[in-house]
Amino acid sequence: MSDTHSETDLAKAGVTRDAEPFNPKPARLPPGLSVGPLAWMKQNLFATWLDTIITIICAVIIFMLVRHLVTWGILDSVWDAANRRECMNKSPDGACWAGPRLWFHQFIYGLYNVDERWRVNLGFFVLVAWMVPLFLSRVTVKLPTAAGLVLTYPLFTSYLFYGGEKGIFWTIVSALGIACFIWAMVNMLMELFAGKPLGKLLEQKFGMVSLKPRMLLLVALWAAVSIIWSGVELEVVRTVRWGGLFVTLVVAGIGITFALPAGIVLALGRRSKLPLIRIVCVVFIEVFRSVPLITVLFMATTMVPLFLPEGVTFDKLLRAIIAVCLFAAAYMAEVVRGGLQSIPRGQYEAAAAMGLGYWRTTGLIIMPQALKLMIPNILSNFIGLFKDTTLVAIIGLFDLLGMVQAMSEATDWIGLVDEPYLFAALVYFIGCFAMSRYARHLENKLSTEHR
Amino acid sequence: MNSPVRAANTAHGPERSRLSRMASDPKIRGWVAQAVVGTLIVLAGYYLVSQTIYNMEKRGLTAGFDFLSSTAGFSIGFHLIDYQPTDTFSRVFLVGVVNTLFVSVIAIIFATLFGFIMGIARLSHNWLIARLAATYVEVVRNTPLLLQIFVWYLGVFTLLPPPKQAFEMVFGIFVLNNRGFYSTAAVPGELFWITGIAIIAGLALTVMLRRSARAQREATGDAPAWGWKALAVLVAAPAAVFVLTGSPLSWEVPTLKGFNYQGGWAVPPPFLALLIALTVYTSAFIAEIVRAGIQSVGKGQTEAALSLGLPRSRTLKLVVIPQAMRAIIPPLISQYLNIVKNSSLAVAIAYPDLVGLWMQTSLNQAGRAIEIVATTMLFYMVVSLSISGLLNIYNRRVQLQER
Repeated sequence: MSDTHSETDLAKAGVTRDAEPFNPKPARLPPGLSVGPLAWMKQNLFATWLDTIITIICAVIIFMLVRHLVTWGILDSVWDAANRRECMNKSPDGACWAGPRLWFHQFIYGLYNVDERWRVNLGFFVLVAWMVPLFLSRVTVKLPTAAGLVLTYPLFTSYLFYGGEKGIFWTIVSALGIACFIWAMVNMLMELFAGKPLGKLLEQKFGMVSLKPRMLLLVALWAAVSIIWSGVELEVVRTVRWGGLFVTLVVAGIGITFALPAGIVLALGRRSKLPLIRIVCVVFIEVFRSVPLITVLFMATTMVPLFLPEGVTFDKLLRAIIAVCLFAAAYMAEVVRGGLQSIPRGQYEAAAAMGLGYWRTTGLIIMPQALKLMIPNILSNFIGLFKDTTLVAIIGLFDLLGMVQAMSEATDWIGLVDEPYLFAALVYFIGCFAMSRYARHLENKLSTEHR
Repeated sequence: MNSPVRAANTAHGPERSRLSRMASDPKIRGWVAQAVVGTLIVLAGYYLVSQTIYNMEKRGLTAGFDFLSSTAGFSIGFHLIDYQPTDTFSRVFLVGVVNTLFVSVIAIIFATLFGFIMGIARLSHNWLIARLAATYVEVVRNTPLLLQIFVWYLGVFTLLPPPKQAFEMVFGIFVLNNRGFYSTAAVPGELFWITGIAIIAGLALTVMLRRSARAQREATGDAPAWGWKALAVLVAAPAAVFVLTGSPLSWEVPTLKGFNYQGGWAVPPPFLALLIALTVYTSAFIAEIVRAGIQSVGKGQTEAALSLGLPRSRTLKLVVIPQAMRAIIPPLISQYLNIVKNSSLAVAIAYPDLVGLWMQTSLNQAGRAIEIVATTMLFYMVVSLSISGLLNIYNRRVQLQER
């Protein structure tokens, strides 16, 4: 109708296009739930028919698994028994935790002399205490603390764990570890309560800005500790008695400590412009990366005795550690190389333009940036190394896995497999999972700082 | 080295400048460093060789590869190629290589399948599935492989029932007991080779069909249906040939005879434990690789494809997966390499792989430590170098397509 009128006519008549009575459309239905637990379940568990079926099947499987685990591992379990037969008599279908419970100390210390186990504990607590300042944000002296830990802790603990007659040389060397530890602890307390690092306090007191007062104090401390330390003699505990988690941590710890510096040297060598050095590094890295660790361990046990002069013998643990170190260094070298490659050329050119030579460019410009980028990869490499230490069980060392294996073959507990292996799996899982979470945390932290 | 130069510096003018220039010339420094390293290596090598020769003479050991042709004298529990205790050590080496490659290849196939499923499951919209897959990946990745191998071997496969109460699966085609896994075997008859040729010809024809179909689509835009033709040449034709030649294939079913099952294909429990542990362990790593690869394809790619009107399935097939594969394949191949290397853990549960047979048994029997260690390492290096060679070729191809 309105079509027949022209626009102007309509305007005159005061009639608009929408003269017809307004018929609102019926209101739309409110949208389905989009918040709250029910909506969440609808979206994430029962979105389609297929989803619903899969969810139900999975839920049933999980329920049955959990029920079995709870009845087997907790409700029907036996915690108190002298051997496996007794466990079976008490509860044939339950877990026999009595076994791992009685063997717990062996799992941790191996056959380490019972009266001397405090030494392992002490070593462990020193390690943990030494690492505390590294994680405290109020402690500013981090690099020297870390360097002291990495360089002198092994010196101190090598005597602490092995014992025996130490002579002048070992007295002084292992005393350095104690002195550095005391220094790190005093420094931490100073920073926490006085708000200033120990070195700075000393400088203010003596009015000197150089390193001298703190070096003097450290040397004095070292001397004092050496004198006291020389009077202490610990019983020898041969490495054949070492075992359990203790050996796992010793092998992994030394491997990690060695791998990082060696890996840096190898990676720099691989990128060197000098052909001979490059070839040597490439061959080393590629050989050790392309063979399985177990072959390196076998090589260390069978071939190293042929290389040594008469009368010199390496014990098995040391040979395994050497093999692990060589292997880990090759892998770390590739991690470091990856980090070095991610540094843009401009950094090298800028350093060269400033007149810095190779070592200063590397040490002051390239490495600090590269190491920061590498930290997550280094940590995941450490996780791999920690898991790989289980291989020493194959060549007859009693690390945690070796000890667990020994237990399931011991006469009292023969055939008890699930419980001890579950315990070991839990220990490894906690260690690796914590490290991987920490790596992810660091990655986030560093990447936000970076941008 | 430095101090005489410095002394010369202060003494004579022109002499000083030449010497100091030489001392700070990077080229000359480089040569000096290389000479030092080279000398050290030569000295160390000389020391090692002479000390080893001395030690070996003292212990009455001999060197050389002559032992390879002498009789091994021990039996091997599981071998894919013929072997008797009267065979030589070189045959033992071969058996070990074949066993290692056998378990590795099968583990690679299963780990890839399982890893892809788990990686995709981690990205599922179904929360329960995604959480389950994530838990699986975290638990498996954070426990040592050796421990997993022991658990599968001691906790599962040695606890299976003895042959008399064996599990018979799928109407007795497969049998599982504490002596191993038995499968019905197909034994080809006399004329089976004709069927084989028919299958190969069918495969070739299918490839040609696919190519011509694709060429036609690219030329004209029409997509000819070739599925039926492919089915005919790939399945129907070989089947007809098979029937016409008199069905030359017989089945060998494993049956209980005396104390154990006989007939068919059989693998021992250590093989199964190693295979499953390797598969499970590596699949967790592959799942992470797949997840990262799929996530590395930008969301914009999917959105662009959808806005062009591609359906979801084709978006996945033509846009997301090809780009994801570029990020997936290099780390995937290095996982394959890890499987080959990790298969050496077989030695812990007495599956006769290369390390177990060669580095352990043969080394104890023949005593040639250096030769045996060297050949074992050489084998792994050859495998590793050839796999990384393949990887380089792949990377180059991908790069060429990119530009």
